Amino acid sequence: MTLSTCLVLAAALFSIGVYGLLSRRQLVAILLSVELMANAGNIVFIAFSHFRGGSLGQVFTIFSLALTVAEVVVGLALVLLLYRRHGDTQVGLASEMKG
Amino acid sequence: MNVLSLALLALLAPAAAAAVLAVVPVLRRHGWPAAAVCVLGSTVSFAAALAILARSLDDPGPHQQVVPWLKASSTAVAEVGVRVDGVVAAMLVVVTLVALCVQVFSLGYMHDEPRPGYGRYFAYHALFLLSMNVLVVAPNLLQLFVGWELVGVTSYLLIGFYYRKPSAARAALKAFWVTKFADMGFLIGLFVLFVASGSFGWDAKLAPGVATVVTLLFFLAVVGKSAQFPLHVWLPDAMEGPTPVSALLHAATMVAAGVFLVVRADPLFAQAPDTRSIMLGLGAATALFAACLALVQTDIKKVLAYSTCSQLGYMIAALGAGSALAGFFHLTTHAFFKALLFLAAGSAIHAVHSNDIRDMGGLARRMPLTTAAFVAGALALAGIPGLSGFFSKDMVLEAVEGKLGSVPWAALLLTAFLTAFYMGRVVFVAFFGTPSGPAAEHAHEPGWSMRGPLLVLTVLAVGAGLLARPFATLYGAEYHFAMGAGPTLAAALALGGFTLAYVVFGRARGQEPGVTAWVARLAETSAIDRFYELTYRRVALVVADGLGWFDRYVVDGLINVLGYSTLEAGSRVRGIQTGFAPDYVLAAMLGVVGLAFWAVLR
Repeated sequence: MTLSTCLVLAAALFSIGVYGLLSRRQLVAILLSVELMANAGNIVFIAFSHFRGGSLGQVFTIFSLALTVAEVVVGLALVLLLYRRHGDTQVGLASEMKG
Repeated sequence: MNVLSLALLALLAPAAAAAVLAVVPVLRRHGWPAAAVCVLGSTVSFAAALAILARSLDDPGPHQQVVPWLKASSTAVAEVGVRVDGVVAAMLVVVTLVALCVQVFSLGYMHDEPRPGYGRYFAYHALFLLSMNVLVVAPNLLQLFVGWELVGVTSYLLIGFYYRKPSAARAALKAFWVTKFADMGFLIGLFVLFVASGSFGWDAKLAPGVATVVTLLFFLAVVGKSAQFPLHVWLPDAMEGPTPVSALLHAATMVAAGVFLVVRADPLFAQAPDTRSIMLGLGAATALFAACLALVQTDIKKVLAYSTCSQLGYMIAALGAGSALAGFFHLTTHAFFKALLFLAAGSAIHAVHSNDIRDMGGLARRMPLTTAAFVAGALALAGIPGLSGFFSKDMVLEAVEGKLGSVPWAALLLTAFLTAFYMGRVVFVAFFGTPSGPAAEHAHEPGWSMRGPLLVLTVLAVGAGLLARPFATLYGAEYHFAMGAGPTLAAALALGGFTLAYVVFGRARGQEPGVTAWVARLAETSAIDRFYELTYRRVALVVADGLGWFDRYVVDGLINVLGYSTLEAGSRVRGIQTGFAPDYVLAAMLGVVGLAFWAVLR
């Protein structure tokens, strides 16, 4: 396993995340896609840390995981709110920003 | 106390009275405490002025004490303080004496006023005396200007004292605007003077052209304040104020401030012979013109108002002829007899409840003291030999004689004749003959607070002529009176005018005969007013309309176009805000891709 295969893996994971983010209509699925993108980033950190030496990338990944947990909490709270309001979690229901 | 401390006392006593009345409203609400405070301040001020005069007779000074004012980077631009010399000593006594008389007179005259109004009246009076004293003791023209504007404000307040009456409110505004227009001359003149000489003193040496410009600008302010043609229009209207106010501000002291300014700035005016010629001509013209208008008034206060314009014209003419002493002496005697005339007229108005001389008639029997006072004032004003007006008028005529081809001199002599005639008319129509109505029949003498000032001023109006010599000493000049051809001619004209008035009006039984109707047509009193109105409509309004159009359609138009185009642009681009979250994500992603391309291809 080389650095480039790790980076290709991360890029693929990120792209899948973007695709999910744009194509899904269910908020929970969108949250999952965001998680994929975040973990793609984590893989890059770990990969560089492993192949180039130094532990800074691993430390950052720990931080990133903690941040992601917090983000998921907020995201799920928003999902719950949307469900209470509209009885569903379709992303199109939240259209207050329409100009 | 030295003379400067006394001057400071004369200045600060009314200042303290005005300050107390301004910050303690309860004094004003009850009326009489305000009057007491005001009269007390004026009494102290008058006593100090008398003491100053007594010392100045021995040592005319000048004494001066100043503090720097308007400090700009360590050097002071100007100074404020007190200055005492012969002119100040004389003027201070005149101002404080007349003010005290008028205030005491007002105690009785304003008695029917509601108590808060009574208090407000005396608060204004205290403020006026303070302002006038600031003007009189000014050590330079800048402080004089401060006092000048302050008396303008108090004049506005007192003319508009009956502010619920629309005509009084209008008259106050008119007086304020006309004099403020003229005061711009004073202000610009001060700027020019400061630029040219680096100070606000009146003893600067200026280049001939600059001196002419500065003095002409000052003269514009004098024309406004001292009600000279063509800016005299505010003074007759100012008679809307209470009669004692007319006596103090619009006859004896404030309107004379213009003359006082020229007396003060005499060294500057001496450097500008052209300005002096203009003053001589305009003063004589105003004297004659206003005397003609005074002939045809039926309102006793308006007669006196136009007479004031006319006599101020005398003073300006004397100053224009280069004799500040004559102008200043006429100012002094005029202050006494014109204040007396106004107060006596006020006493008659108080009794009859009308300003119209045709409503009076036969007051002599009912009000002997008032009549005696008015007649004494009228004779003094007419210049009957022996009375104060005769001496001062003679001094003026002597100064003017031979200048500008003797035309002003002839005009002033004619004015002297007319003056005697119109004063005779008022005396015979209003005070002799038979009463023209029940009000005139049941008129009675006023109380002692009104009689006392009349007596004091009567004595001064009759006897002030004797003061000519000490007065000249104060001014540092010599005065000798000789009953030559000039005085004889003036005396003959005055007596002739009075006799003619007796012939025409003496048996008029309180009625105005039709004789003056033709004069009324001859001298249309409101012509100048109508000219201003026309100018206002034709010029000012058209210009204002043009400017209004520009403002509405060009200035506002630009702003409106900007606002509307912003709104329009907003409504066009709002469509891209879909409110659908994945669209925003897509936009962000496209942005990231764009940035990535830019970073790679850069």
